[in-house]
Amino acid sequence: MITRFITDVTTKFNPFSANAKSARLFLSFLPPGARASGMNIKTQLLPRTSTEQSALHVKFKDGKEMTLDCENLGIKSIVEEVDRHSRILQKAVDLGN
Amino acid sequence: MPPRLRCSAARGLGSAISPLRIPHQSAVLLWASLSSAARQYATAAAVKSGPLRLPDDYVHPTTPPAARPAETRKSQLLRSYTALLRTTPLMLIFQHNNLTAVEWAAIRRELRSALANVSTGTDSADVASQTNLEVVRTRIFDVALKIVEFYDPSKVAPTTITTITGAKGMTKYNHDLSKAAFDVVKDVTTGVTPLPASSPYAQLAPLMVGPLAVLSFPAVSPAHLAAALSILSPSPPAFPAPTRRKNPGYYETSAQEGLQKLMLIGGRVEGKVFDLDGIKYVGSIEGGLDSLRTQLVMMLQSAGLGLTSALEGASKSLWLTMESRKIQMEEAEKPAAAVEEGEKKEES
Repeated sequence: MITRFITDVTTKFNPFSANAKSARLFLSFLPPGARASGMNIKTQLLPRTSTEQSALHVKFKDGKEMTLDCENLGIKSIVEEVDRHSRILQKAVDLGN
Repeated sequence: MPPRLRCSAARGLGSAISPLRIPHQSAVLLWASLSSAARQYATAAAVKSGPLRLPDDYVHPTTPPAARPAETRKSQLLRSYTALLRTTPLMLIFQHNNLTAVEWAAIRRELRSALANVSTGTDSADVASQTNLEVVRTRIFDVALKIVEFYDPSKVAPTTITTITGAKGMTKYNHDLSKAAFDVVKDVTTGVTPLPASSPYAQLAPLMVGPLAVLSFPAVSPAHLAAALSILSPSPPAFPAPTRRKNPGYYETSAQEGLQKLMLIGGRVEGKVFDLDGIKYVGSIEGGLDSLRTQLVMMLQSAGLGLTSALEGASKSLWLTMESRKIQMEEAEKPAAAVEEGEKKEES
């Protein structure tokens, strides 16, 4: 996953529900130095009885915001969605140099 | 130390299994080490088939049959996880998101020092030294959870085996890598065995995703749990992080960055599954299990006191009314008696 262009990641999930899987896996995909390189990562853990849907919100360097539906998308589709925009930004950077 | 034998049993067996390499001498030595009855049987067999042959269904005593290859790292991890799950009464489950080795080292160092400062009783040093933060392989841990919950080793039927001497014997192969354990886990996974939603495994199963680490305590000690919580997932009112002045190491970059990537997602306390709030509740029990026991004893005692006083009350009030009535009647009789006495005095 291309994480260079992500500035904000906000997640909210109930770990005891099966739908939290993709949000949790997304967090585990972020590189070790993500916070040190300026990415804001916020995680809110819901209590076990909560039936609230898990949420994943990603913000990019160019200001684009993405709200990903963790309930229905698997981790592969989420990574695909995020990378689609990241590649555009990557291309702009490459052409700029 | 036992005396060294010139021909060890293992070497003798090794040569026995590969008949091409068998030196005549070692075969003879092997015969000599067998018991007399067995020797006759084995000699008869040897006469029949030439070189020494083990029975076809022979099972080596130290390598029982297993559903998974016993010598691989994964199998041994599975065994260590089942042992951990069977022995540890208090376990916290964390998700770790790409922590570096330096960050792990810093977190473990802070955790160790915080636990060492807890003083509850005589065994607090043991609890502190045996509390362990361990990264687990998620899928293997999942299988281990299933084995611990659904597999009962005592229910495995014994199988008949042939020993090296040819004698038949009964043995149970009920270890965690055995075929029986494998079948039980397979039935649970494929849904042949129904999985009730209230079972601890069904509750823990959604947690078994992504990279996991497990903090295991050798005993349910709320004081140690509180110390660990204040380091690993501080929440100010009940479990505050140590102050910068008291514990500067906690505020090092490596420790802080590691802690940001470590998420407490659940726990297992004496076989029951708890979420974050439940774990905080367990950690906030003051005085540990002993204080809970004293509270229970006090409650039971006071309840007994109330019950006896309530039962006693009816008879006591009856007695009181009867007694007061008696006094009343006595008083009513008294004046009459006094008057009679007075009359007698006047007559005399």
